Amino acid sequence: MHSCDLNVSINKLSKIEGHADLDIEIRDGKVGKVDLRVVENKRFYEQEVKGKPAMAVPQLVSHICGTCSIAHLTACTEAVEKTLGVQISPQTLILRKLTMYSLMIRDHALHLYFFVAPDLFGVDSALDLAESQKELVHDALHIKEAGNNLSTLIAGRSVHAMFEQVGGFAKIPDETKIPAMIEELKSIRAAVIRLCDIFLNCDWVLKRKTNFVAIATKDFSYLEGVIKTSAGEVINEENYWDHLHSVVIPYSQAAAFEFEGKEYMVGALARLNLNKEALHADTKRDLAKHLAVFPSDNIYHNNLAQAIEILHSIDHSIELLSTTKFKKEELAKPARMTGEGVGVIEAPRGTLYYWLGIDEGKVRYANLVIPTAQNLINMRSDVREAVVEICADPSASSGQAAAEQGQKLWEEKIKKEVEKIIRAYDPCMSCASHFLRINWV
Amino acid sequence: MTKKRVGIFSLTCDEGCSIYMIEIFNQKLLPWLTKMEIVHFMSVSDKRDFKDLDIALIEGTVSSERDKREVEEIRRQSKILIAMGNCAMTALPSGQRNNFDAEKKADIQKDVDAYNLLPKCLALKDVVKVDDNIAGCPIDEKKFIEIFEKYL
Repeated sequence: MHSCDLNVSINKLSKIEGHADLDIEIRDGKVGKVDLRVVENKRFYEQEVKGKPAMAVPQLVSHICGTCSIAHLTACTEAVEKTLGVQISPQTLILRKLTMYSLMIRDHALHLYFFVAPDLFGVDSALDLAESQKELVHDALHIKEAGNNLSTLIAGRSVHAMFEQVGGFAKIPDETKIPAMIEELKSIRAAVIRLCDIFLNCDWVLKRKTNFVAIATKDFSYLEGVIKTSAGEVINEENYWDHLHSVVIPYSQAAAFEFEGKEYMVGALARLNLNKEALHADTKRDLAKHLAVFPSDNIYHNNLAQAIEILHSIDHSIELLSTTKFKKEELAKPARMTGEGVGVIEAPRGTLYYWLGIDEGKVRYANLVIPTAQNLINMRSDVREAVVEICADPSASSGQAAAEQGQKLWEEKIKKEVEKIIRAYDPCMSCASHFLRINWV
Repeated sequence: MTKKRVGIFSLTCDEGCSIYMIEIFNQKLLPWLTKMEIVHFMSVSDKRDFKDLDIALIEGTVSSERDKREVEEIRRQSKILIAMGNCAMTALPSGQRNNFDAEKKADIQKDVDAYNLLPKCLALKDVVKVDDNIAGCPIDEKKFIEIFEKYL
């Protein structure tokens, strides 16, 4: 048992989106303070959008985040449409689903291959695997490329997509390119199943009861449905805010949220725990043993859940591209120019909520709930739990001749484990630093 | 052949350029790895080495004292420094607070003070000598390949 004191500090966590620091204080072998600080410099979107034309605001907020730019674009577009009574066509809904699938494929693949895989193989970086794990690196590049190509075909680009707009899409996909896209998506299925196998066979475990929250969409398309929780609540999208409490974390450039006064988790693990029956039939056929894992309380199964979501995104995209004849359409027009409305979608990292107030076509205010901000408290509790487990393990520093050396190893072990847990959440600090009011005293 | 030492850095921004660069890697990473070693790129590696760089790629605007010190240090360590994307080249869009009216400026002043932010967001060229630029939001793929390969 450890009885010594230790301060573990990580200055800028690597292999996550954006910047965060972590400090853990251990006194007499007991875990004290756990500070997870978001250290992104603010870019002040809350102020920027005020007074801007509502039609232009979705493109503007897509710059909140590089990797999940499409999620912000889509959620804000939906909020503008609901506020102004814009009725989108069935074709627009299909194009929007395909846009979201293209995001899920490349964003989840980025996380699993570039951020998590190095921990699996005990190396610093995915770049170090280029020689030793050739097949894995080829799989990574092919899967990401397919997602990137799908974004380009449907939405114009994978980062800051141009075609998705309020009321519809500015361009429809070039039909001569659709057969090759379908073939490319089919060609990466085997690689995605290999990825699912890797995370099914991964022995990392950190179990802790928490409440999972996600939109349960009928076809697992991340867009429309009711919000469900593992505690049994069912909530309409527009009422989500009523159940949340903003908690200011004073040492951070981001606040956090509780659901009904308690910590909770959003993201791929929550979606699989609450809605796996809605996955595509081909995905369910090929991943039966992987899906049997859910529901799960093991936070590391978020990685497996993301891998499964890549296959679903491919399978449903193949079906939509094979069965839709795209026609040129006019953008749907607003029924009014003033009102309040809510847009909620499932972003890669979880439920993303936009609440807009619009006056005569101009945004009066915007309120956002970001997935990473919702996961912060749960993430901190998991980090604490992991450190408590390491401190309770008598073998953690046994066999070390010099106490000082033992302490160094202990510190390295804690750092490695907590980074693994934080990465399992796939946090995005670029997003988390926005729309959180801090009242300076 | 010695490999070029490349560092990739993110200042204040959404990291969209480096994310898009990783998409360009889908086609280019394996051939480029024969010519370069990435010694600093927090998105994919925990290495903090940025001494004696042959090429530094920097995205984002300079919005805090910490950003400014970082850019000055990168400049001292780099043979070629490239501004990657519009934020690094012009401070916009991430430095959008530069264009706020008096009311919005007053609204954010407490944050500006509390986080040691600069009064105005700066482009890289306002702080250090910049050797080349890759425009776009995010970076244009063809332009990135053309300029990066020139120095590789």
